[in-house]
Amino acid sequence: MKERQAPRGLPAPMKTRRVRFASPQMVLCLIQVAPALAALAVFRYFPVLSAVWHSFFNWNGFDEGRFTGMANYGELFSDPVMGTASLNILAYVVIRVALNLVFPLLAALLIHHLGSSRAAYPYKALFTVPLVVPTMVVLLVWKFIYNPHDGILNRFLSFLGAGALARDWLGDFGTAIYAVSGLGFPWVTGIGISGFGMLLYLAALQGIPSELYDACAVDGVSGARRLFRLELPLIARQLYLVALLTVINTLQTYVPVMVLTSGGPGTASMVPGLYLYLTAFSYDRFGYACAIGVVMAAVLAALAAFQSRLNARAESAT
Amino acid sequence: MKPARSRPYRIASHLILIVLAALSLYPFLFMLMTSFKSNEQFYHGYFTPAWPLHWGNYAEAWGQIAVYFGNSISITLISVLAGLLIAALAAWAFARYSFPGSGFLYGAILVVLLIPGVLTLIPAFVVLRDLGLMGTHGALYAVYVTESLILGIVVLKSFFSALPEELVEAAALDGAAETQVVARIAVPLTKPAFLTVAIMNTLFCWNDYIWPLILLPDTRLWTVTQGLVSFRDRYAGMAAWGPLFAGFVIASVPLFLLFFSSMRSFLSGLTSGALKA
Repeated sequence: MKERQAPRGLPAPMKTRRVRFASPQMVLCLIQVAPALAALAVFRYFPVLSAVWHSFFNWNGFDEGRFTGMANYGELFSDPVMGTASLNILAYVVIRVALNLVFPLLAALLIHHLGSSRAAYPYKALFTVPLVVPTMVVLLVWKFIYNPHDGILNRFLSFLGAGALARDWLGDFGTAIYAVSGLGFPWVTGIGISGFGMLLYLAALQGIPSELYDACAVDGVSGARRLFRLELPLIARQLYLVALLTVINTLQTYVPVMVLTSGGPGTASMVPGLYLYLTAFSYDRFGYACAIGVVMAAVLAALAAFQSRLNARAESAT
Repeated sequence: MKPARSRPYRIASHLILIVLAALSLYPFLFMLMTSFKSNEQFYHGYFTPAWPLHWGNYAEAWGQIAVYFGNSISITLISVLAGLLIAALAAWAFARYSFPGSGFLYGAILVVLLIPGVLTLIPAFVVLRDLGLMGTHGALYAVYVTESLILGIVVLKSFFSALPEELVEAAALDGAAETQVVARIAVPLTKPAFLTVAIMNTLFCWNDYIWPLILLPDTRLWTVTQGLVSFRDRYAGMAAWGPLFAGFVIASVPLFLLFFSSMRSFLSGLTSGALKA
């Protein structure tokens, strides 16, 4: 399409047509958007209101519940399990952000400096493969890797003659949460949706005009100085984006913990999302679970507000 | 791009990258190797492949997870197609018409992007149960279609809006009904958008663990994620590693086929979808 009209530039995009109030066309439009809005109303808007409302109730999910005011919130802030879970998720987020920034960036820089996109392609493909493995398979494979008897990690350690380091990584109070949050070695490709950092960094690096590299060469700027003065500033947006997405996704995450440790041993690897799940579906305390959800949503909203202020400041600065 | 580096530098980079790629892929190669091993082969040649291949592992694993696999295929197909249809209907109305309230309604859809899943998990479960959908695949269709709508509407609307005005206008002047304009012009020209949305939703449906877990007490209705977890619990308990890894491989096949049949749109879909989500 575009080629044929190239002489006149890009074709003009479709105009939106004004539709008058109560016209047949307006009814048609509303009918078209109705199924989507109905689904969102029932499974998104209403649940938000219901969650906030029921967070003030002692509720088992079936009856009306009993209004208890701020009791759930009071309990939440003095709940030792919630304390453990909060500290764990903090460690989890910090570890995941660091992993998603450092290792994909390292690989992207190495690939970029090969100097040709033909050389880059096979690596792009290879590092994408782990993204396509179903999340559950990745988690179960890592559960096997950490297996105390037959797992790859302990086998490899004893193969190296470091068998003394071998342990039950997921069953050890000291290592469980770190084993879960640190899975995915060598971390070039992350797990699930925030695992594409390398592709994003590489695309940004390849978009840097070669004149800038020439200028660096003329001025004798190379190596670490070029990295910090030229490359990192020009891909800062991508780094920021990956960090942000990782924080938002990881704060809510609990399926990896659920599958690998169930929050154990004891509550050593508990995270807020899993605690919310267990509170509702194992202990039938739906009201308390709603309160956990509201607090988590508030933390996420605060982060989003902070982030948009940062954005606004960055834009007004330029 | 920029001038290439010196030869020794490039060789060193290639070496590091090959090692990184090998380490990234090794767990999955290990899975593939082990899926063909008998237990004896597993304990004797732990890190390396072994012959003869034990295809029986696959037969055994398939017998255990075929039901879940079939459930996941049908749930994914139905949810993705229904989600695309509902999203496309709304997206076309938003893209082509400016009707009273359209701005507000579109804003109401965008706002959903800001609602975290942990907040709605519990009440949405209660709603689904009270609708009588608990214990049926209908509950999963509802969850997955809803999940797919936001990305679907946003992406399809932006692609529809970029359609050339002349083309749409010309078809309308030729007397084509609006449904024909959509079916014969809009949809064929925005295929990449449909593909992107379909890929993102397929990944979501195939990978979701939590909703079937809380909604489906009957194990015969389970999807492949639940199936794998319970299969693992039994087979890891027996240390029957060969069949276990064969099951993992089987569960990975559909996404791999999707990936290799549409690598380009897959990669762009993955990145653009993740940015919107």
